[in-house]
Amino acid sequence: MIQPLIALVDCNNFYVSCERVFRPDLLYQPVAVLSNNDGCIVARSQEVKDLGIKMATPVHQIKHLIKRHQIHLFSSNYTLYADLSSRVMQSLEAYSPHLEVYSIDESFLDLTGLCSHTSSRRNSIDYALQIKAEVFQNTGIPVCVGLAPTKTLAKLANYAAKKWHKTGGVLDLSDTLRRDKLLPLVPVNEVWGVGKQTTKRLHLMGIFTAHDLASQSVATIQSHFNIVLARTVQELNGIACLDLESIAPDKQQIVCSRSFKRRLTDEKELIGALTCFAQTAAEKLRHQESVAGSISVSIRTNPLSQTDAQYQRSGQIQLKQPTNDTRHIVRIAKRLLKEIFKLGYRYQKCSLQLGHIQPETQRQQMDLFSVSEQSSDSSTLMNTVDHINRRFPKAIAISAAGINNDWQTPVNYLSPRYTTDWDSLPGVT
Amino acid sequence: MRPIKKPKPSIHGGSRAGSGRKKGSSVYGETTKAIRVPESMLPTIRSLLAQRKLQASIKTSSDSTPSLLPTLNLESLSIPAEEPSSINVPLFISKVSAGFPSPAEDYIEKTLDLNDLLIQKPAATFFVRAEGESMLGAGIHPNDILVVDRSIKAVVGKIVICALNGELTVKRLKHIGDEIILGAENPAYSDIVVREEIEFVIWGVVTNVIHSV
Repeated sequence: MIQPLIALVDCNNFYVSCERVFRPDLLYQPVAVLSNNDGCIVARSQEVKDLGIKMATPVHQIKHLIKRHQIHLFSSNYTLYADLSSRVMQSLEAYSPHLEVYSIDESFLDLTGLCSHTSSRRNSIDYALQIKAEVFQNTGIPVCVGLAPTKTLAKLANYAAKKWHKTGGVLDLSDTLRRDKLLPLVPVNEVWGVGKQTTKRLHLMGIFTAHDLASQSVATIQSHFNIVLARTVQELNGIACLDLESIAPDKQQIVCSRSFKRRLTDEKELIGALTCFAQTAAEKLRHQESVAGSISVSIRTNPLSQTDAQYQRSGQIQLKQPTNDTRHIVRIAKRLLKEIFKLGYRYQKCSLQLGHIQPETQRQQMDLFSVSEQSSDSSTLMNTVDHINRRFPKAIAISAAGINNDWQTPVNYLSPRYTTDWDSLPGVT
Repeated sequence: MRPIKKPKPSIHGGSRAGSGRKKGSSVYGETTKAIRVPESMLPTIRSLLAQRKLQASIKTSSDSTPSLLPTLNLESLSIPAEEPSSINVPLFISKVSAGFPSPAEDYIEKTLDLNDLLIQKPAATFFVRAEGESMLGAGIHPNDILVVDRSIKAVVGKIVICALNGELTVKRLKHIGDEIILGAENPAYSDIVVREEIEFVIWGVVTNVIHSV
């Protein structure tokens, strides 16, 4: 009988590593990457972690540390990260026919039958080291590999491989003896799928480590919590309950929202912002070949302001005819905004949400009396727009989106798009 | 007139009844067929075949444990994405006269894709832009685009991109031993001897130069 073997390959400090690929001068320097509007820290190099700076710390709280330790800051360069991510995943594809891309920086690989910890001919550790070496050689991104018979244990193995440098970045938890040694050392909140609230309740029950959780009876956990956590208990004991999902599920909901740099008071400016959101959202929708069945818009003032009058409202419409046409979505978003907009308030945030998303092919047939808002030329036109915008970013936009959008949030530390723009290639002397 | 001699039927060579591999006796437990495949897909296909082989061997040894094996799922077979930037240039085998509806369209043989020529391994291939004149002798001019393959092993004689004290530079790898020697291809520049105290990492190997004229 062959024991299942799952590998979790996870990139180390992924966003930071991406920036460092093209900035070898920062290899041993403290580096941090900031969130969408340069507000919080979302990725830290080891040097920054060692300074005690936590994930999601607001930048303004650590200005003194940034100055004193000369921390290099970067705005999120998602174009660069997405490109390097796909290179990492492509490199991994050579190592298993069954791969689940779990997030931008981690993948599960099914290695069952390809190698094992008991076989000296094709040792699992050697195989994992080879994966690690090839990803780094191809992309310059360092990774750690966790191996185990279940996904939850593979996650745990990866956590341990990252935490304890003695592992060399690779750890196999196929062996129950090794599991018995490691699990008592891992806090229960580090177990995959155990969140903040669950951790609190587990602590009350005297469950503090992964080992404590693994020793619970499945029935007890299921009655106190839910089937999901019961499965986690089984997975921690080496019984696989979660399959690899090789096809990522499509997004069920697309949300675009931004806080504005300055407060907006004019309806026209809000229309401009909404139009931008609609363009982005509709493009995402078309990319996954879906249509949206509902659209909602919400606006609000700054709830933290002592002086501003407060206002918050949202509106939603169910569409008779699901759509992915930017023009149609913009038209409806405008109509919704008209309903909820009130003059005299200083708006800080606006968002657009597309829901009831379904595959384009399943689009329902129109009833006899409704007039199609989606003309037959629509998809051809939208495809052309997408195609042009891919080659010449932001070349075609709906006119209401405006050209000078000074409400947009600042990005002060953006690195060049080294791999996706001919004018931004790294220079070599 | 000489009579035409019929060649004698040879008793050597040819197929003999009952010879050769038995039908379905391959390692996959079924008949096999030779096909040509793109080189870039080799690793994917090989690992897929290895799986199939394993499945076949397990199946023949015991039929009770197939559920533990990863299922052979063709949809999970990943094919490297086509470069979105690639431009296909049709190659004609006859000349086309301007202003006349082209009769040559029937003769399109295939399209040439520069990516085929310049890129062996898309996941590991990066472009960088040359600055400076240290590599003029190797045909690398300022502003040229260099195609860099990170997956190729840097050996003596290769032109490499390396990070030298934190800066990306292009040089020829001249010697690897106690010390590493990087050579410029321009008499105005001297060789660089990489001593221990210098931060040095090889970043990739240059495979092609794209030069505008």
